[in-house]
Amino acid sequence: MNGAQHILDAFHRHNIGTVFGYPGGCIMPLYDALVDDVGVEHVLCRHEQACALAADGYARASGKLGVCIATSGPGATNLITGVANAHRDSIPMLVITGQVASGMIGTDAFQETDVLGMTLGIVKHSYLVDDAEELPAIMEEAMTLAQSGRPGPVWIDIPKDILLTEVATPAPGPSRAESTGTPDLSEALAMLREAKRPLLYSGGGVSLANAEDSFRAFANASALPGVVTLKGIGNAGKHNPNDLGMLGMHGSRAANRAVEECDLLFIVGARLDDRATGKLDGFAPNARTIHIDTDAAEINKLRATNVALRGDLDDILAAFTREMEAQPLAIDEWRAQCQTWRTTGGFQAADNEEPLAPITGPAFIRQLSRITPDNAIIACDVGQHQMWVAQHYHFDHPRHHLTSGGLGTMGYGLPAAIGAQFANRESTVINVTGDGSFMMNAQELATIRRYNLPLKLIIMDNQCLGMVRQQQELFYNNRESQIDLDDNPDFVAMARAFDIPSLHIERTDQIRRGIETILAYDGPMLLHVAISREENVWPIVKPGASNKEMIDEPKRTTTAKKEQVA
Amino acid sequence: MNPTNENTAPSYTLNCRMAQEAAAIERLCQVVRIRGFRVARMAVETVGDSFDINLTLEGSRPVAMLQSQLEKLHTVAEVAVKQPAEALARHSA
Repeated sequence: MNGAQHILDAFHRHNIGTVFGYPGGCIMPLYDALVDDVGVEHVLCRHEQACALAADGYARASGKLGVCIATSGPGATNLITGVANAHRDSIPMLVITGQVASGMIGTDAFQETDVLGMTLGIVKHSYLVDDAEELPAIMEEAMTLAQSGRPGPVWIDIPKDILLTEVATPAPGPSRAESTGTPDLSEALAMLREAKRPLLYSGGGVSLANAEDSFRAFANASALPGVVTLKGIGNAGKHNPNDLGMLGMHGSRAANRAVEECDLLFIVGARLDDRATGKLDGFAPNARTIHIDTDAAEINKLRATNVALRGDLDDILAAFTREMEAQPLAIDEWRAQCQTWRTTGGFQAADNEEPLAPITGPAFIRQLSRITPDNAIIACDVGQHQMWVAQHYHFDHPRHHLTSGGLGTMGYGLPAAIGAQFANRESTVINVTGDGSFMMNAQELATIRRYNLPLKLIIMDNQCLGMVRQQQELFYNNRESQIDLDDNPDFVAMARAFDIPSLHIERTDQIRRGIETILAYDGPMLLHVAISREENVWPIVKPGASNKEMIDEPKRTTTAKKEQVA
Repeated sequence: MNPTNENTAPSYTLNCRMAQEAAAIERLCQVVRIRGFRVARMAVETVGDSFDINLTLEGSRPVAMLQSQLEKLHTVAEVAVKQPAEALARHSA
C-alpha cells in the first residue's frame, strides 16, 4: 500500500464512512486511491470552507469523527475558518491536506503554504509527515487524539511524494485514551447539600463527553434549577420543569437572575465564556463554585473555583446521581422562586394574532418549534436568527442544535446542515439562516442538489446584517455602517436556479402553511421568510457589561404596532 | 491581546520538556504569546528525542494558566514553573 491507501485503510479501521473534500494537485494521489475504494463515501462540496464546516456538522450531529480533505495552498487556507470553528467548539475532526513534495517545501513552489505554521493556533495537534513509514502511526494517533479528552481538530499535512510512497510499516493496533478516573466527590457533595440556592450551569461539554444521558439523570434526580450556555441548549431536554434556559448576553431574565441570586454554581462542561458570563466581576457574585470538566486548563481559567472535579463527565455525573437519589436536596423554596422567575422572566414572545401582520423572528421560530418533529436537527448560522432559535426553539437534545458558538462563523449553517444530513439520513434537518449568513456559503446549494439531500432551508431575510444593525442602533447612537443588504438577490429564483423549489412568505397567517409545505416536500426546499428590518433580539446585555444590566424590549405603543403592520 | 508591560509584569522561569517534532518550538511560543506572556530569554537543548527548553517569561496573568495550557499540548511531557524571588517579593509587597 502507498501512503494514500494507508489513509483509506485507517478510515476503514475507524469506521469512517463519510468524508468531505475537494481535490487538487498535491492531494491527487489520495483521490486516485478513492477511485478504487467503495467503502468511503466522499462528499464533494463546492468550497473547502464548506468541507470543513460540513465535517463539523457531521461530527456534532453524530458524535463521530468528522473528516475533511483538501489540497495544498488555497485548498488548505480555505479550510482554516472551518477548522478554527471546530477548534473553538471542541469538535472532533481530522483534517488531511496535500502538501508540495518534500524536496519542494520551502522553495515557494506552486500552491505551497506553510500549513503547519499557519494553523498552530487552531488545532489540537498537527503533523507534517516527513517519513512515509510514520504515516500509519500518525493516522492512528491523530484519530484517537481528535476524539479523546477534550476533542478537537487534528491536522495532517502530507507531501505528495509521501502519499505515493510504498509503506512497509503495518498499521498499529488501536490506541486507547487514558482514563482519568473518578475524583473524590465528598467535598463537592458537602457543599451541594449545604447550599440554599444551588444552580446547575451546563454547557457543550456534556454532549462532547457523550454524557447526555447521565446529565439528564442527574438533572432529574437533583431537580436543580438549571441554566445552559448556547452550546448546552437541549442538555436537560425540552420538558424539564427546572430548566431556566440560556444565560448570558441574550439569555433569559430568569436565567440571569438565578445566576445572580444563587449561592452555589454547579458547573458542568462549560468554560465561563464571556458571552455567557458578561462582565466577570458581576457574574454569580454570591456563589461558590463546583466545576466539573475534562479539561484541566478550563478549571480556574477565568474564575477560581472552590472545588474542581476533573475527569470523565459520564462517571462523575453518575456518581452524583446515586447520591441525589439516596438523599434528595432540600431546596423547595429555591425551586419555587426559580419557577416564579421562569414564569415571569422566561423567553416569551406573544404569537402575533394579526393575520396580515409582518412576521417577527421569535413568532416564526416558536411556530417552527411546535411543528417540527422532536428529533429534527436545526443548523443555525450566526446573527439574530441564531439567537431567536436559541431563545424560542425547544430542543430535546443538544445534538439537535448545531450552532457556531465560540467562533461565531457566518456561513456555518448550510454546510453544517449538509454534514448533519449525511450523519442522519432519515432525520429532518433544517438550516435556519439569515440573508447575510446564507450568502457566505450559498454555493453549497449545488451540493444539496448533487446529492439530492432532503434539507430544508429557511432564510429569515431582513435585508441587512441585523445583529450588527441592532448593536449600532443601541450602542453606537444608531449610526448604521455597512449593514444594508437591500440589494440581495431574489433568493427564491436563486434556489430555483439550483433546481431547488422554494416558497416566499411575509405575513403571519402564512407561517404555518409555509413550514408545513417545506416539511412535507419530498426533497430539498427553501422557505424565504421576509421579516422586519427593525426587529431586535431581546433581552440584550451590552458587550462588556454585567448580566444584571440586561436591557429588555421597550414597550411598544399600539400605534407603533399598527405602523409596523402597515 | 498585547503582551504585558515588561516594566511591571512579574517574570517567571519555565522549564519545558517536549518531543522533537516539526514546529515544536513555534507551537510552544504561540501558546506563550496568545496566553499573554512575553519571552525575555530562551534556551533550547536537544536531549535524546526531546527538547529541553528554558524560558524566562514576563506577564501579569496567572502563570498557572499558561502552565496548564502548555501541559495540554500533545507533545509536551513536562512543564515546571519557578517564580524568581524578586518577583515573589514584589507580589507579596
